[in-house]
Amino acid sequence: MRGAWARVTSWARAVARRGRLETEMEAELRFHRESYAEDLMRKGVAAEEAERRARAAFGPVEAHKEAMRDSLGLRWWNDAWNDARYALRQLRRSPGFAGVAVLSLALGIGANTAIFTLANRVLYLRLGVEKPESVRLLSWAGGRNVAVHSMWGDWYTSKEGNISSTSFSYPVYEYLKTHNEGLEELFAFKGIGRLNVTVKGTAEAAQAEMVSGNYYRALGVRVQAGRPIEPADDGAPGSGPVVVISDGFWERFFGRSEKAIGTVIQVNLTPMTIVGVNPPEFTGAKSAQSSPDIFLPFSMQPAAAPKTREGSLLVSKDLWWMQIMGRKRAGVSDREAGARLSVALSQAVRATMTLRKGDEAPKAVVRDGSRGLNFAGRNFLKPVAVLMTLGGLVLLLACANIANLLLARSAWRQREMSVRLALGAGRGRIVRQVLTESLVLAGLGGVAGLAAGYASQGAIPALLANAWERNDWAGGFDWRVFAFTAAVTVLTGLLFGAAPAWRAAGRSAGAGLKESAHTATRRWRGLSGKALVTFQVMLSTILVAGAVLFLRTLGALNSAPLGFNADGLVLFSVEPPAARYPAPRDVALYRRIEEALAAIPGVESATLSSVPLLADSMNNDDFVPEGQARTSDGQQVAFDNEVGANFFATMETPILAGRGFAPGDTESSLPVAVVNQALARKFFPGANPVGKAFRTHVYVSDQETLVRIVGVCGDARYAHLRDEAPPVFYSPYRQMAGEPNGMTYEVRTRLKPAALMASIRGAMRSIDRDLPLIDVRTQREQIEAGIAQERLFAELTTGFGLLALALACIGVYGVMAYTVARRTNEIGIRLALGAERRAVLWMIVREAAWIGAGGVAAGVGAAAAVMPLVRTMLYGVKPADPASLGATGVLLLGAALAAAWAPAMRAARVEPLAALRHE
Amino acid sequence: MGKALDLLQGTLEMLILKAVSLGPLHGYGILLRIEQISGGQLDIQQGSLYPALYRLEHQGAIASEWGESENNRRAKYYRLTAAGKALLKTETEKWNRMAGVMAAVLRTAPEEI
Repeated sequence: MRGAWARVTSWARAVARRGRLETEMEAELRFHRESYAEDLMRKGVAAEEAERRARAAFGPVEAHKEAMRDSLGLRWWNDAWNDARYALRQLRRSPGFAGVAVLSLALGIGANTAIFTLANRVLYLRLGVEKPESVRLLSWAGGRNVAVHSMWGDWYTSKEGNISSTSFSYPVYEYLKTHNEGLEELFAFKGIGRLNVTVKGTAEAAQAEMVSGNYYRALGVRVQAGRPIEPADDGAPGSGPVVVISDGFWERFFGRSEKAIGTVIQVNLTPMTIVGVNPPEFTGAKSAQSSPDIFLPFSMQPAAAPKTREGSLLVSKDLWWMQIMGRKRAGVSDREAGARLSVALSQAVRATMTLRKGDEAPKAVVRDGSRGLNFAGRNFLKPVAVLMTLGGLVLLLACANIANLLLARSAWRQREMSVRLALGAGRGRIVRQVLTESLVLAGLGGVAGLAAGYASQGAIPALLANAWERNDWAGGFDWRVFAFTAAVTVLTGLLFGAAPAWRAAGRSAGAGLKESAHTATRRWRGLSGKALVTFQVMLSTILVAGAVLFLRTLGALNSAPLGFNADGLVLFSVEPPAARYPAPRDVALYRRIEEALAAIPGVESATLSSVPLLADSMNNDDFVPEGQARTSDGQQVAFDNEVGANFFATMETPILAGRGFAPGDTESSLPVAVVNQALARKFFPGANPVGKAFRTHVYVSDQETLVRIVGVCGDARYAHLRDEAPPVFYSPYRQMAGEPNGMTYEVRTRLKPAALMASIRGAMRSIDRDLPLIDVRTQREQIEAGIAQERLFAELTTGFGLLALALACIGVYGVMAYTVARRTNEIGIRLALGAERRAVLWMIVREAAWIGAGGVAAGVGAAAAVMPLVRTMLYGVKPADPASLGATGVLLLGAALAAAWAPAMRAARVEPLAALRHE
Repeated sequence: MGKALDLLQGTLEMLILKAVSLGPLHGYGILLRIEQISGGQLDIQQGSLYPALYRLEHQGAIASEWGESENNRRAKYYRLTAAGKALLKTETEKWNRMAGVMAAVLRTAPEEI
């Protein structure tokens, strides 16, 4: 291996500076000859004679130069270059073949590039901070009896009942910060969702992240204007009325003007000053994919994001809600850091909380924080894996197709190869030549595929997002995508080039020259061609089966009975700030808006609900039927929805027994509820629930109320389209004395939503100009957003399935056309001997049928085996659904026979005499 | 002085390494140095020096640099690298062993077998 590196660098230098190398070579050799000639002249030789002798002594200049190039390893390069040029010439000569091959490769590689771009974004993207690899996220894990009883944020419960979460209480954070021996300095943040923000007189909903004073310093993020949030901002509550805004927010509201710094904006009616602008690559610590709009210090939580029930979260000992990070401490493993922090966490829990009997402190677990909380990685891992698999199958299919075409070509190029062998070309050179052709083809497909992937990079995330929200997923089209596409391209080239290269290597010069094209064809077509086509049919069957299943899933979801009329409904949400609308003023506000909406021309009816339907949003509370004892088995729970009086009329959900809500159900009347059939079935089996009563805590916070059931409504799907209606009870929002959580208004109209929105906005402005309309969308858009992933899968798998079907047809057609061509003689003889044309036709069709049947059988078997892996992604159809698989098989078999029809017809039309004269 | 000797295969590289081990030289200078230290007994086709030089540089045994020649012209100078020094040493040892063995073999008289 001596000097391997030297050789590589020397070779690369020579290739990169080819022109300069040539001039230097020339200069060096001329210097030599002239120096020798001068020496000769100095010894008295005449100038002319000296030059002649110098040339003679030097020898043939061009031959030496060639040898010098060889010394640098350039011959290999030149050969490759020549091979590539030759390959391009060959492809130009058969544009049909080149077109089909490059197109199928472009589709295959493009699909994989687009999918990998998505995967890259979802699975590999790291936080835009200094040294993201050293960022650690603190989480905790505990058993059933863990001391944490109240959380705001996400947590995971295992089958065994173990709970893990990344949420901590503020007092625990403060304790850990001063007793931390596991990580470098701890810092904290919390994505607090949407806040109402008024900028320059415009009310908006802005995503906000609350951060500790040392957050910017610890993450090593440098603002692009102004200053970051500093420890001084995060002192006593209310001490730091400052925000740092995101690059996107800066762009949208200030057009990147420096004047943004120092501007005062209202955040939930609290005036706060913009002090800095984040760099574009920084998306906060929570997610690497999209950034919150504003960042504010924890000290502003009580003022800007109050929670009435808990009071100031900075002193709340019960609610665990914020995330803690720290950088890895040198020489301390994550396991060791977790162990050290567990000790501190246990002390922190004891020091800050009043433990109930049996409560246990959770254990601290130190996790990778380089991707923030990494929701994307968790939620999209499976769909991305399925998409990558599908993309891989399509590419494999394209490879099989091209291998088939190349084999066909290599048959008629046998003579060319044999001539080259006979003329003394080395076998290795021939193989390289054939492989180069494959790689050139793959390269063309790769470039086209990269372009296709780049063009469609936005398509897949857009399909996963909803129609009304900003989609600012940071780009994922980076060097990894290039490397991936390059690797895939080379791999495909080698894959489909291997067979032709292998064949080219195995030939002897004489055989190719003696054989006719026909005999050569028979040999290669014998098995490899048919095996390849069978393989293609099998892959296509799997892909088409996937398409059928996902299409049926989408169809089942679209035709699922909703239990309400989703057409002609416009939705928007309002989240009144608690500071301006403390209970019961919030209820009064909701009523004013409800009445104002009903008065707008074009509005048929308007209502509101605390839980918008089919919006991935839900609320559940206790439900204890009167006369039953309260149990602790978790069964006395039902979903609820706080709604307007004409909710059922507006949504067109039927009242099946008793009555709906009436204007008489007010703050001062007796608490009432309407339940759905599912609830009636669960809690009052076989009885009429109307007139019965139940106890719940939902009407007045932390206080049990006895509620009378006045009606039963039809089942309407609640949070997810996939789920049948769960037990739900509906309450009049006017009877709620809890904390305001925001409401969603449902407006039924025959007008176009856009036409109506202007009047709605006008009405809202006259009520409170600081109150933004959040998430304006139609109910249909809302439902679509809930099944975006299913739609994406149905669309992609259908596209892949059609592509696969087309490729399989090309394969079958190709192999049958060759069969007919090579058997023209035989067919002619059969016909001359009196065979019926129809028998010839069937002979060919039968052969295709066998190929098709073999591929379909293998494909259906494989599909039945692998589809259960995507069971959770399907709806309304079983993974190995016999009807779907049967239909797929019939479709593929039909396609195979149709593709064989033209060659079969050609066989049947063979003229016996012409065929016999045919070579 | 008798007829000049044809070079044995692979010896040109050793000669070049030896020549530049005494100090940086351009191609023509290397030729002169070899003629000088071999007493003009070796017959080298002048042009064949260069593929060997390029090969050695490609392997990293020598390095080159453009500089000014004694007659004030631009010339490419070669010098020995650390790798080249090591190579020269091992090649020299190999050569000496080979020469010793060959000499002993050829000295052997028929009756000694």
